[in-house]
Amino acid sequence: MTAENLAAAAFRLREVGVLAALGVAVLFFTVRATNFLTVDNWQDIAKDVAIVVVVGIGETMVILTRNIDLSVASIVGLSAFVTADTLAAHNGAPLVLVALLAMGVGVLLGLVNGLLVTVGRVPAIIATLATLAIYRGLAFQVTNGEAISAFRLPDSFLNIAASKPAGVPTLAWIALGVALVGAAILRWAPWARDFYAIGSNPDAARVAGIHTGRRIVMAFAMCGALSGLGGFMWASRYPTVDAVSATDFELDVITAVVIGGVNVFGGSGSVLGVVLGAVLVATIQNGFTLLHLSEFWKLFFNGFAIVVAVAINALVTHRVQDALRRRRRAQVLAARHIEAEV
Amino acid sequence: MKRVLLMAGRLLARWETLLVIAIIGVGIWSTTLSPFFLLRANLLDLLTPYAFIGLMAFGLAFVVIAGEIDISVASILAVSVVCFSQLYDKGLNVWLALVAGLVVATMLGCINGVLVGIFDLPSLAITLGTLAAYQGLAYVILPGEGVAAFPEGVTKFGGGYVDNELPIALLVLVAFAIALGFVLHATRFGRYLYTIGSNREAARFAGIPVARVRVTVFAISGFMAGVAGIVYLGYFGSARADAAQGSLLDVVTAVVLGGIDIFGGSGSMLGVFLALVLVAELRNGMQLANIAGDTQNIVIGVLLLTAIVVGNVTRAIQARGLPSGLRRKGVIATATVTAGLGTEPEPQELKGR
Repeated sequence: MTAENLAAAAFRLREVGVLAALGVAVLFFTVRATNFLTVDNWQDIAKDVAIVVVVGIGETMVILTRNIDLSVASIVGLSAFVTADTLAAHNGAPLVLVALLAMGVGVLLGLVNGLLVTVGRVPAIIATLATLAIYRGLAFQVTNGEAISAFRLPDSFLNIAASKPAGVPTLAWIALGVALVGAAILRWAPWARDFYAIGSNPDAARVAGIHTGRRIVMAFAMCGALSGLGGFMWASRYPTVDAVSATDFELDVITAVVIGGVNVFGGSGSVLGVVLGAVLVATIQNGFTLLHLSEFWKLFFNGFAIVVAVAINALVTHRVQDALRRRRRAQVLAARHIEAEV
Repeated sequence: MKRVLLMAGRLLARWETLLVIAIIGVGIWSTTLSPFFLLRANLLDLLTPYAFIGLMAFGLAFVVIAGEIDISVASILAVSVVCFSQLYDKGLNVWLALVAGLVVATMLGCINGVLVGIFDLPSLAITLGTLAAYQGLAYVILPGEGVAAFPEGVTKFGGGYVDNELPIALLVLVAFAIALGFVLHATRFGRYLYTIGSNREAARFAGIPVARVRVTVFAISGFMAGVAGIVYLGYFGSARADAAQGSLLDVVTAVVLGGIDIFGGSGSMLGVFLALVLVAELRNGMQLANIAGDTQNIVIGVLLLTAIVVGNVTRAIQARGLPSGLRRKGVIATATVTAGLGTEPEPQELKGR
């Protein structure tokens, strides 16, 4: 087994681990909660997962570059309101254009985050903590205390959440599309491979000629765009949209991303992991609801899951690094030995 | 010309000077808004509603100087407050309940500290996790309506006055600022924090018990959140699981605006105190001007961002203006930041001069 294979196996182990946890959770709730293993319930879970996956892929791009975006929930909320407001005013507006508008809002807000982090040299956590509050404040300015109810929105739009082609909610189809495109981009697009390089070693990436600043701005802009799309989906999923929509949603997203094996130090993580992480989180939360556990245990679980996932991730990384170092030392020693004999 | 620029740069580099100027500026603005601003009662009471934010900020300052971050402080406050109220409700002596609340807060801080200091996990992700976990815990301990009606002996810490004029919360705040300022600036432990914040590896080689100090720092942060909880309880008169939610922005702003380097290793307690005064004054002024809370958040958020960007520029000026030995700080600052659009000074350029 070569060094690359060893590392790859370790990372695959993460996804297998999440899958195993998912199996245990499904088994547990099937036994304990009636209604858990029904088509209706899984369609509900799929709708919840869909928005988390879309925003989570954007968050992954940012975290890959060793940054973080805490403002995603505020971007989702603001673009959800822009979507609902536009559609309430122009009932016949083409949905694709409205979705692009929501994504445009997201890109703009994401660009602000990216420029603050790169040009302003503000650490991402502080920059996005500030924009979390600023964007939420903007939402209050834009909404002016107003809420938009579902009856003002066109049926074609509400159908995005309600319709289920082939038994799978349309929202989940959208998420699947985003996940496939996202996975392809992160696998093959050169500029997206740069995210991994920057996250693994920012200085090395710079020396290697990667425009680190430009790439980080790009990651934040992509995250903004996907959060905008998430806002579009949010507006169709939930009946009323107002200034506090999607508050604290960033915790769901970051939990899913971190559980999915995306390293908070940057440099590693996959879309498949994020999808599995989102499904795991949604499944467990759904199970909690069916078991009539308090809403608040979910919040506790979210936080606890982040801590555990980060700890396991760090442990795996340490082990892999140790193993790689030992192997390298053995190789060097063996090479010297051969030299000595010759 | 160059000399003048240099002098100006150095004067600006005194962060506290800038803060005092800003405080006076906002004061003048507030006076134009309302004739009541300059009344002695208003000035004395200015900090009372923000005392709990200041107390959390003092604790967080220790963490940030040591090069870490703790965004779970507001959640620790919430858990501590609901623990106190539940214990008091169950009939425990009020002072014992108070001590229990402080112990819980310190322990929650210790959990953060052990995870970060001993297991060497990233404080950003860990305290983001405990932010949610502790908040959930607070709701689980005290679901639904809050508990009110505490004895006056306790509430006076947040809402009481000496001679009907001097707020006790202000006295508590100043006392802790002085005590913690002493620990930070005049004890060996305080110096350790700066060393660890500047270069953890070097601190370890210098024989500083790095792990122990880092755990202690988070414990202090937790303890201060507990103290802030007592003041919060006194000021608002009730304990709820969502206590202090949304105050994180103000706490972080007070610390960063106070001139504490977000990458660790520098900053002063006086700066944090002045920044708290500025935030309180600004919010007070905006209330006088009838600006809604969420719009205020925009202003505070922009202020936080401006503080860091201006700080970065000031540091760049400082790095260019000082002799070569001290320029290293500038190089380190550019190296820790993962990115730049070519705006930062190139390290070679610094070396060449």
